[in-house]
Amino acid sequence: MSTRDLVLVALFAAIIVALGLVPPVSLGIIPVPVHAQSLGVMLAGVVLGAKRGTLAVALFMLLAAIGLPVLSGGRGGLGVFMAPPSGYLYGYLAAAFVTGYISERFVQSGQPGIVQGTYFFVAALAGGVFACHLLGVLWLAYVTGLGLQAAFLGTLAFIPGDALKALIAAFAGRAVMVGYPLLPSRA
Amino acid sequence: MNTLYLDGQSLLHRLSTRAKLGGLAVFSVFLFAIGHPALLGIAAIAAAFAYASTGIDWKPGLARLRPAFITIAAVTIFALLFQPPMEALIILFRLTALMLAAAAITATTTIGAFIDTITWAAKPFERIGLVRAADIGLSVGLVIRFVPEVTLRYRSIRDAHQARGLKVRPVTLLVPLIIQTLKNADEIAAAIDARGIR
Repeated sequence: MSTRDLVLVALFAAIIVALGLVPPVSLGIIPVPVHAQSLGVMLAGVVLGAKRGTLAVALFMLLAAIGLPVLSGGRGGLGVFMAPPSGYLYGYLAAAFVTGYISERFVQSGQPGIVQGTYFFVAALAGGVFACHLLGVLWLAYVTGLGLQAAFLGTLAFIPGDALKALIAAFAGRAVMVGYPLLPSRA
Repeated sequence: MNTLYLDGQSLLHRLSTRAKLGGLAVFSVFLFAIGHPALLGIAAIAAAFAYASTGIDWKPGLARLRPAFITIAAVTIFALLFQPPMEALIILFRLTALMLAAAAITATTTIGAFIDTITWAAKPFERIGLVRAADIGLSVGLVIRFVPEVTLRYRSIRDAHQARGLKVRPVTLLVPLIIQTLKNADEIAAAIDARGIR
């Protein structure tokens, strides 16, 4: 792994940390301010691609595990990996990978903006919403012992907010592609 | 950013990191293998003792556990709706024991000790050629080094928006943040290579 890739991974992990440290933002139509950290995870896939995006998220999780309060709300330590919502944290890894993989596969530099944006949106939905919530629900159902039905019902409430984040990630990914393209092509 | 480690002289402080992590793994397996609420209750009490033994004060000690405990309480209430009360009790004790044990280890292990253990654990993967063990410690150091800069950049961009009378929107905030931060990568990589760190 080149030094430049290592630095890109570390810098993006720093971005994800920073998104949890700064005050929550209001995402457009949703009145409740949310932390942009899960948005940062989708962005990692969209900007850096599958391998570096996943590594950035893994590095971020490592920081949380070793005792730094990098999760939004100042949380950290090993406990965040063994709590009921931990499935969503593990889901971040899947989210970055799936989002990055789909982005690499479908987005190319020659395409018109709207096409790129649409592919990024699909990628962010598949990763940040589907994959992340899947792991969240599985963890809630089987490790926490809540059962699939209750876990699924509980997760539904968060899907609209995350879908909106996926849309934002798509816009941002397209803009970063214009300004400083880093996405490797896997087409 | 302050770490969650607290200085002390307790037994947990003096145990090696590998022993603590291994112990936590064994404890977790035990918690999931046992289905009896009484045993799980004893395990939870034991974990509470371990947490108290770290020497943490009451207020910060409970403050750390609060976010996790809120979710555990929510899950227990949900479980009471869908499952028999004994099941909910099992869930409560199991998750509480896990939370306390994990918090005890976090409070008694320094970042350096963690990094050493992870570097040691990564050595076999280094032989396969998957990763360089030293890279892990380097990356952690890099992130810690650059988080303040990224946070500062975020605030500058947000202030610049507000100074121009623009509404603070996520896209217009994040895109300059990402591009400006990542553009530094080449210089930083050159600095690392010039120092022969890698």
